[in-house]
Amino acid sequence: MSETLQELAQHPLMEAIRRYGGDPADVPFWEGCSAGSFRLHRCNLCQRHYWPASRCVEHGAADMQWVEASGRGRLYTYTVMHRAYTADTRDKVPFVIAVVQLEEGPFYHSNILDCAHDEVQVDMQLEVVMQPHASGLTIPQFRPAAR
Amino acid sequence: MRSKCAIVGLGVTAQGVGLGLEGRELRAQAVDLALADAGLPRDAIDGYIRAYVDREDLRYMGLSPNFSVSMMTGGATPVFSIVAAMAMIEAGQAEVVACVYGEAQSAFATSGKQDIGSYGYGYPMLYGLLGAAATHAFHARRHMHLYGTTSEHLGAVAVTQRDYALKRPGSLGYGQPLTLQEHQSSPMIADPFRRYDCTRNTDGGIAVLVTTAERARSLRNKPVYVLGAGTGHNIVNWHKGQVYENHDNIAPARARAFGQAGLSLADIDMAQLYDPFTISPLMQLEAFGFVKAGQGGPLYAEGGAGPDGLIPTNTGGGQLSAYYSTGFTGVAEAIQQLRGEAGDGQLKKAETSLVSGHGMNAGVQNTWAHACMILGRNP
Repeated sequence: MSETLQELAQHPLMEAIRRYGGDPADVPFWEGCSAGSFRLHRCNLCQRHYWPASRCVEHGAADMQWVEASGRGRLYTYTVMHRAYTADTRDKVPFVIAVVQLEEGPFYHSNILDCAHDEVQVDMQLEVVMQPHASGLTIPQFRPAAR
Repeated sequence: MRSKCAIVGLGVTAQGVGLGLEGRELRAQAVDLALADAGLPRDAIDGYIRAYVDREDLRYMGLSPNFSVSMMTGGATPVFSIVAAMAMIEAGQAEVVACVYGEAQSAFATSGKQDIGSYGYGYPMLYGLLGAAATHAFHARRHMHLYGTTSEHLGAVAVTQRDYALKRPGSLGYGQPLTLQEHQSSPMIADPFRRYDCTRNTDGGIAVLVTTAERARSLRNKPVYVLGAGTGHNIVNWHKGQVYENHDNIAPARARAFGQAGLSLADIDMAQLYDPFTISPLMQLEAFGFVKAGQGGPLYAEGGAGPDGLIPTNTGGGQLSAYYSTGFTGVAEAIQQLRGEAGDGQLKKAETSLVSGHGMNAGVQNTWAHACMILGRNP
């Protein structure tokens, strides 16, 4: 990583990232999203991928790098929220929150776009699409993969 | 390890919604009740573990211990606090440790002071993920996908536990029958969870006094011995990508607890398993090995967790139907059953009980901490 964590902590995206309990170490991910790129944190020694930013379970911080990922995965599990616990979800219920298992291995939480609730199924193939969010971040969302 | 320490005092305050008491007062009452129950004077408590967040308890309670520790590892905290109490006794730092809980949850709700931060999940909140129901629903949905578990199976958990609560005065479910049909027609909260798959917060205090087995034998109550205990953290299953198949990381905790106790599953008379949602005891019964993976639903549907079943589970109604003392519910129920004080709900055979706690669902996701112990009437 070229920038230090102290430098990343000053990044303009940090205000939004902190609101969601995030960490300066994840700035390159969110910068990537703003640029239309879905990145994961990879250990170059063993090719394990991580999200959010992590030390490798085997190699620690020896050779971690943010790399462009496929943006593809499968739906691992999901819920349909029928209750709005926050003001910004009040007009969205019911809505789907899914856990996507990315091709590279990590899990990623997302809504499922372009898919009726009753067509959401475990194991369905998904692909990423970037979407602006009220926080100022650009966030990955997943939708059924094009055949 | 086995039976070096015992539980000699139990204090359970009123439990319910809108009690109108502060958390600290509930803890103070629980300690008073536990001291009275054990027949010990106030200055006997030389160690104090406050489950969950610390407050200025000692001055208010007139206690003078050698140490006061605040402990937080989610719903595993109550069992963990008893394990830590034993460790402090073994380390020569105390002889009688009070493990204390007391929260006025409904005061938060009415004052609007509830800290939703603790129910948030970091980045997944960008997608509207909030509340423990949604995160536990991920486990339930995955279990349904893998094994064909149904909403009716989850309903059988709710009904089984309500049937226990019907016999227990002071529990929320006392005199309030619940049918499977009522479960099935209750509104959806976070699919597949309906209202009766979920718990609700209650007010209450519970204190447990832990001391050496030797001192326990000189006190008025029949001691409840800690035969073995274990812990397991789910992060290893996160690293392996198997966190949704594993509600908790039970395997290492089970191995240590049963190893210390020198017991097998067949020796366990009842299970008090942490139950924030119906899926939780169902998956734990599988993970502990009472049934094979995927057979938890059928076990409940066939009455296997009922009083005459394979493994009577959450025998006081649990947190789903009795009260939610965040893990102390099952601890108290095990002690009452083992002492023969469970009234109309007393099991025919109550020599040993498995007790579990789990929690800390936060961060990127999930139920992280797990702690279990085996309690026994005899050393």
